[in-house]
Amino acid sequence: MGLFTKQAEEVPCTVEVSHRFESLHAHVRFDNGAIVHPGDEVLVHGGPVTAAFGEVVVEERTATITRASALERLWTRLTGDLGAMELCEFSFSEQVTL
Amino acid sequence: MNASPGDLSPALDPEAVADTTAMATETHILNPRFYTTDFDELDRVDVTPIRAQWDELIAEMKADPNKGHFKKTDAWDRIDWEAMDPALRVEFIDFLVSSCTAEFSGCVLYKEMKRRGSNPDICELFSYMARDEARHAGFINDALREAGVAVNLGFLTKAKKYTYFRPKFIYYATYLSEKIGYARYITIYRHLEANPEHRFHPIFKWFKEWCNDEFRHGEAFALLMKTDPKLTDSTVNRLWIRFFLTAVYSTMWVRDHARPEFHKALGVDIDWYDQEVFRKTSEIARQIFPVELDIDHPRWKPALNRMNAAFLRMDRGNRRGGLAGRLDKVLGGAQALAAFTALYTIPVRTNALPANVRLEPSY
Repeated sequence: MGLFTKQAEEVPCTVEVSHRFESLHAHVRFDNGAIVHPGDEVLVHGGPVTAAFGEVVVEERTATITRASALERLWTRLTGDLGAMELCEFSFSEQVTL
Repeated sequence: MNASPGDLSPALDPEAVADTTAMATETHILNPRFYTTDFDELDRVDVTPIRAQWDELIAEMKADPNKGHFKKTDAWDRIDWEAMDPALRVEFIDFLVSSCTAEFSGCVLYKEMKRRGSNPDICELFSYMARDEARHAGFINDALREAGVAVNLGFLTKAKKYTYFRPKFIYYATYLSEKIGYARYITIYRHLEANPEHRFHPIFKWFKEWCNDEFRHGEAFALLMKTDPKLTDSTVNRLWIRFFLTAVYSTMWVRDHARPEFHKALGVDIDWYDQEVFRKTSEIARQIFPVELDIDHPRWKPALNRMNAAFLRMDRGNRRGGLAGRLDKVLGGAQALAAFTALYTIPVRTNALPANVRLEPSY
């Protein structure tokens, strides 16, 4: 990992989208155990994974993980905490006026 | 969870909404954020000091008391969406979509923590919480489908940046958001119990059992914080807790005031409702937070109102664009900062933490 340079790696992944009454969820799992670090960017290849209502779709895909540079990783680590407010849950919309 | 709920929705245009008499024409893209944290630190969490309470809570989650709750029964009244006042419909749909995204994002975060961890206690906890959130999201999604609103999960194949939070910030923020979620749901539920004529949608009938899930999740984070006294004792962390309380309460104030029609339909005065939710949340939070905001301080409500005015100004700036818009944004930002400082510097009350953290939902 360079101080300024980014590196990209391709990894196999499994995408699961559940669009059921019982569970609405969507996840990406990296099949080779790759770990995403602060500031990394992940792009799952291919078209949108669409599940009709009542369906669970599981697909094998490829993802590109673009690794953040050392500097960017440090920056994300340092500034990330300020964004922790995003985690707060109270059914807000970002718009102040609707 | 309500991670950046604003990310999700395209602008809700009242005219477009009024146009959807044909139904099923409105699509909202769910756009949750993706997080990463220090998973090694999370793995090092040792629940030994609170093992008895931990096991009790995990057993409760495993038993899944709400397993049968999220089903549509005869109590689910049919709603004539077309007859609903268009302005109310816009705000109510926004409420449902942002709630759905919140639950959905919670699920993404918890599932990630479960998958990446190797500490069996932590993994088990997060698997139950992810289950609950996905279930809630599914239930809200179904209410949206009835209204002719579809959610689009296409975000998965878009490039995503991962944001990093230290575990302690996840604890503070999610603890607070789960407990405030509980207080919000139960306050609406109790209000509608007393004033059923204002129950304009059946989903509110489900809030009582629903919010017990939020309560339990909050309990889990309270226990996690209890494993390391520094998280709540150190001077710096007390300031962080104070910061989170101020930020969360004031954000809630601003966001709720953006939905006047929704609250009017519920027969709820927004100032009263928000203060009531703050009061309940603060009482509950005495279980783990050593500081408590003084929400009856003379500076409290005026500063919240100034915060709201500041956000409206920034919002106006966004809509206007150009130089005048930029000026509105800058001045609005400065006003928001001043209002936040006024709130943050209100002297706090301090609490001695109880030896036993656990609470039962009692409102």
